[in-house]
Amino acid sequence: MNFLLDGFITAIRLLFQGDEETYAAVFATLQVTGYSMSASLAMGIPLGFALGYFDFPLKKQLRFITDTLMALPTVFIGLVVYALLSNKGPLGELRLLFTLPGIAIGLTILALPIVISLSAATVEAMDRQLRTTLISLGADRLQLLLSILWEVRFGILAATVNAFGRVMTEVGISMMVGGNIKWHTRTITTAIALETNKGLFSMGIALGLVLLLIAFGVNLALSFLRKK
Amino acid sequence: MTNNSFSSLYQIQDLIHCYQGRPALTIPFLEIQPQSIVGLMGPNGGGKSTLLNLLANVDIPCAGQILFKGRELRPFAQDTRFRISLLPQEAYLLHRKVQGNVAYGLKLRKDRQDRDLKVRQSLELVGLDPESFRHRPWNALSGGEARRVALAARMVLRPEVLLLDEPTAGIDAASAQRIKEAALIARQEWGATLIIASHDWDWLDQVCDQTLHLFKGCILGNGRSNIIFGPWRPRGDGRYEKRILDGQTLVVTRPPEENAALLIGPEDLWLTTTPQPVGGQRQFLKAVITRMSLGKKTDRIMLTLTAADLDLCTHISRADAALQGIQPGSVVWLSYQLEDTNWIG
Amino acid sequence: MNRMVTRIFKCFLLAVLILLAGASTGMTESKTLMMATTTSTDSTGLLNYLAPLYTKAVGVELKWTAVGTGKALALGQNCDVDVLLVHDPEAEQKFIANGFGVNRKEIMYNDFVLIGPAADPAAIKGKGTLEALKLIQAKGAVFASRGDESGTHAMEKALWKKTGADLMEKEAWYVQTGQGMLPTISIAEEYKGYTLTDRGTYYKYEAVKGSDLSLKILVEGDDILKNQYSVMALDPKHCPKSRYDLAMQFANWMAGPDGQKLIGDFKVNGKPLFTANGK
Repeated sequence: MNFLLDGFITAIRLLFQGDEETYAAVFATLQVTGYSMSASLAMGIPLGFALGYFDFPLKKQLRFITDTLMALPTVFIGLVVYALLSNKGPLGELRLLFTLPGIAIGLTILALPIVISLSAATVEAMDRQLRTTLISLGADRLQLLLSILWEVRFGILAATVNAFGRVMTEVGISMMVGGNIKWHTRTITTAIALETNKGLFSMGIALGLVLLLIAFGVNLALSFLRKK
Repeated sequence: MTNNSFSSLYQIQDLIHCYQGRPALTIPFLEIQPQSIVGLMGPNGGGKSTLLNLLANVDIPCAGQILFKGRELRPFAQDTRFRISLLPQEAYLLHRKVQGNVAYGLKLRKDRQDRDLKVRQSLELVGLDPESFRHRPWNALSGGEARRVALAARMVLRPEVLLLDEPTAGIDAASAQRIKEAALIARQEWGATLIIASHDWDWLDQVCDQTLHLFKGCILGNGRSNIIFGPWRPRGDGRYEKRILDGQTLVVTRPPEENAALLIGPEDLWLTTTPQPVGGQRQFLKAVITRMSLGKKTDRIMLTLTAADLDLCTHISRADAALQGIQPGSVVWLSYQLEDTNWIG
Repeated sequence: MNRMVTRIFKCFLLAVLILLAGASTGMTESKTLMMATTTSTDSTGLLNYLAPLYTKAVGVELKWTAVGTGKALALGQNCDVDVLLVHDPEAEQKFIANGFGVNRKEIMYNDFVLIGPAADPAAIKGKGTLEALKLIQAKGAVFASRGDESGTHAMEKALWKKTGADLMEKEAWYVQTGQGMLPTISIAEEYKGYTLTDRGTYYKYEAVKGSDLSLKILVEGDDILKNQYSVMALDPKHCPKSRYDLAMQFANWMAGPDGQKLIGDFKVNGKPLFTANGK
């Protein structure tokens, strides 16, 4: 009864023999991760930049709130998003419950505070002379924004990797909002939960290893950005 | 605006700038002429950097206005963005190679013509060998090299106004010398206006058409001034005194507050080589001349004197200096009249 | 630098577009029926077996989310699904009485069994169900309860009630797992305790464990242990948007000769799991 070794062997078999169910779950995971990372980066980086760069009243309180939201429990987000997307909920008309975009909404709520908070922190920590230098070299507002983001790219990258890790491994939201529907909303993590429920521990471990492998690939790709 | 304002490059009116709610700079009026070299002097925290940041359009004043060629400076305005460049004291190098740093401003201007050549020339101007430096990363430079790269990044843009904030402070002598030379090249080659904040009085005396002394956010006047800090002790006769290390005392009027500083203009310090009684009717102070330099466009000689821990300056005409046989190392007696001193702060 | 940024931005946009395209093709739903069901129908593999056959026969795709009966009913109440397949008759009656469900059809049953370690410390083997539970309580032997408002949990609570036992949730021997049936069996195994399970899940457990099997069926065959599964449509007056027509089509197929035969033929490890009793 060696789950770990069995799991490892099963993982290799699933990937290289092209197991259809596994690939469906991998694709679902990539899809929800892709949507939610796109949405949370597109919103989170500008918001985080604004929060870290500008001085305005209530800034400290806002930072405190976003920092706190980083600790949002995923099951709680799942419940709230379920309540919103349920047909009896205010957004039921959109028919997003039990769909991948529905899961992505929940995951975006999970990732957004992380991206905002960590980008704000990295922008806050940037050298005060950076702004002076860029303006005195003739940058306009947009060039200033882009150049600052480029200068703090390692911090933004760290925020991205962090958010990505949480989104990809999340199970509460995917289960609650997605419903773990085979061929449709079954992600790798909900599949692991299901296999564990079935008592097929080595299958669960195999899927976990598959997830780890994907995360490895994505982080490898991101680390090339770091070298540039 | 009135016509004559167009003749000046900068015109400052009723400027007040606050930093975290406290006034950091107050300038009722100031004009800077095009193609001039202006020096800013004064202690740290006096407002030099604040003024440079405002002139560079990096910060906006809290009140009042700064006119550049007759038009008010606006943040990111197209007409000034590419004409004014500031070299901050702690120059920030972008996290890329030297080439990328120097070419950055050209990229912002979408100036692709001869970019590499311009970068090379600019590096040569600050005394860095283009071939060995162009591909160095930003974090593989010494302090002096980094400052020179930062200056090269400004020089390559050939700005109309080059603002330098303590360009020679805290770096090696060779780098400082190169920076000084490069700044003058900007003035000679394309007629740049230079505004330089520095503690290097001799340099400013040498090159500047105008020097402004900033203290606690106010311009105290043109040229060098003697600013003397306490502690002030009551003498018992209504006067106060400052004791310097060699035992001499400097007698002053009653300070308005404990931390007030005393201002004595260089023209208000009289000098004689004849020994004088210390502590007589006129206040005399024995001092040694440490440096003499000829002011730009004048026939007056700037003297720097030291009495123990106190540094002072004054000037005399070349004729007087020759008559009295003054040279560095000469012992002289300085005097001033109490009514010529002013309290500030 | 700017070119770099635009390049990254373009790659990013492209990725989003590809993903969106993938999503939209995924969402072109022809005819799908959304079902909420209890975990046992899923983890035994029954639905994986039935769904493709159903789609082939009727042309409707069957999607399901496997949750406890309690949550399945809540999903139905919120009109988030079209049809329910659950096993808690009492709760189902209440659901209908409240105006949420209609046309409940009994489909099949299996039975619950009491399982425990072969050593049987409370000596319940072969006893009646209620007597066995009383013995477990008297002995203070560990009993693992689902504790998740599932159909199995509802059955277990009803049985305890019939023994006249007081609320014993805080007693040390009574362990509430809050998890599905198989994890609960695993926990009972770790404690060397007893638990109540549906026969289907027990067979699944048996199949997974093979020779490592340590929990055995000790009490079975009692009438009160019957586990009835039903299909139920949602009241169209309460949920006008749910697919009432497809739900009824599914219920009729399951209760009809085709569905009933397939259910009867379903086996795990060569053993039939469910007895079809649709009408």
